[in-house]
Amino acid sequence: MIRQRKDRVSAFVLAAPLLVFLSVLVVWPIYLGIRTSLSRDLLSEFEITPAGLENYRTIISSPDFWTAIRFTILFAIVVTVFEAILGFILALVFDRSFPGKRTLFSLILIPIMIAPSLMAVMYRLILNENIGVIPGFLQYFGWDISIFDQRYIFFTLVALDAIQYTSFAFLLVYAALQNIPQEIYESAAIDGARYRQVVLRITLPILKPALAIIAMLRLIDSFRTFDTIYILTGGGPGISTQTIGIYIYKTAFITGDFGLASAASVTLVLLLAPLMPKIIKQFRLDIK
Amino acid sequence: MKRNLWATFVASLFALIFILPLLGAFYTSLRTDNAIVSGPFVWEFDSEFSHYKNAMGAAGYDFASFFRNSILISIGTVILTTFISLPAAYSIVRLGFGGAWLLRIALGLRILPAVFFIIPFYKLFSNLALVDTVRGLVLANTFVNLTLALLIFSSAIKDLPYEIEEAAHVDGAGVFRILRSIVFPLMGPGLAAVGVLTFIFSWSDYLFAVVLSSSEATPVTVGAANFVTSYGVRWGDISAAVTLSVLPPLIFATLAQKYLVKGLSSGAIKG
Repeated sequence: MIRQRKDRVSAFVLAAPLLVFLSVLVVWPIYLGIRTSLSRDLLSEFEITPAGLENYRTIISSPDFWTAIRFTILFAIVVTVFEAILGFILALVFDRSFPGKRTLFSLILIPIMIAPSLMAVMYRLILNENIGVIPGFLQYFGWDISIFDQRYIFFTLVALDAIQYTSFAFLLVYAALQNIPQEIYESAAIDGARYRQVVLRITLPILKPALAIIAMLRLIDSFRTFDTIYILTGGGPGISTQTIGIYIYKTAFITGDFGLASAASVTLVLLLAPLMPKIIKQFRLDIK
Repeated sequence: MKRNLWATFVASLFALIFILPLLGAFYTSLRTDNAIVSGPFVWEFDSEFSHYKNAMGAAGYDFASFFRNSILISIGTVILTTFISLPAAYSIVRLGFGGAWLLRIALGLRILPAVFFIIPFYKLFSNLALVDTVRGLVLANTFVNLTLALLIFSSAIKDLPYEIEEAAHVDGAGVFRILRSIVFPLMGPGLAAVGVLTFIFSWSDYLFAVVLSSSEATPVTVGAANFVTSYGVRWGDISAAVTLSVLPPLIFATLAQKYLVKGLSSGAIKG
């Protein structure tokens, strides 16, 4: 296409809404966030004063901040691995025809359509000690355990996260599976390969790049876990299930220290920064 | 076919676990208060659907207004997101505007933790008098959904046959004319994918809603969560409210399931 001056003007006009939006709701907020992190900015005080690196010193020496970071990383890794494995197994199940496949596919996708916060409210309903269906069921069989107990809370949260997000992993693996040409399986069958061999030697290696992207997406997303855990435990017992998101939210809007919370946000971004180019490279973003 | 019954069994098991919370809420919402407190297996149903009537206003909760807010926020976000990202995607893909780096920046946004933005948004929106308004939450949710929409539209535009646009160009049609009369009508599937995903994800937003709304603009997600903490024992009403809150995106997305699947796997991203 011959690129004319008029085209360049049109290109700019078409992209203008995006550029305006990015400037006002991304660039400016990033600046505001950094400036706040360098200020003494408390909800209880009217005056906002410059504070240099004071908030950063406080954050870096705060055990609660690092507890939250550790919990977030551990939780993110465990749920990512768990959900990728479950999603892979489910995708293998769906990679064949069986009675009721279409209906079951629709049912499996339902968690994607449900808000995590609403899911959390429903979890509280069915897990409630007095009226919940699940504890009632467990008690019926003589199992009298409290799943929100400090000892089980981590596994409970992992299981609940898996109920919500395995569908995402499943859907992406399933889509990748559809791209594997059928002939490969046919020739493997002719060679007398067993199903287990086919999965381990053919399916898994072909899916490796797709699985890497899926795992990375789930990892990024589980890093921002907020709604479900906040509604279920509020970060407790104590601060044992406090994700970094909950820590920042509470520091800003409950403790009322915007400066400290902003310093925590900036520190979090700096900790994640080395990963970003790798993640961006995983996506083939060619515009051609 | 018959020997694959085990696959039906495994898939059913997964499906049952996935929808168990929803079934539980629905079951509770239909039972009488007496049955709810007596234990999970007391078989006594409320023929009047009073929990639903209470949730929708009979008991003085604001749930109807939360519901209206969620609908306005989600539809507003779908429209604004489309308006911003479709022309931009065309400009990037076909007119070479900004090149791949603009998409990279958008992707970088997707990776940045959203929680970074809650404080700056709160400050910015306070100054612009956008706190606790539907407009404010539309802007925040557009921010959340922009990357996915840009990726979906870019890949949809890349898949269009360039020859048609070229022919129109030769015939003297300008860029805007081509976009309106050729590209837009062919973008049906892309628009459907962006529409359904943006709708679900704006309906699902909790973080920005909890920070940027206090009463006037509160959507169902925050409303339902507050419900549990403030009316902790009215389980029947809560479960009716939650069941109703889940329905709109569920119905919409089930009808548009094809586009949901395509959009998620082409954008390979969740909001």
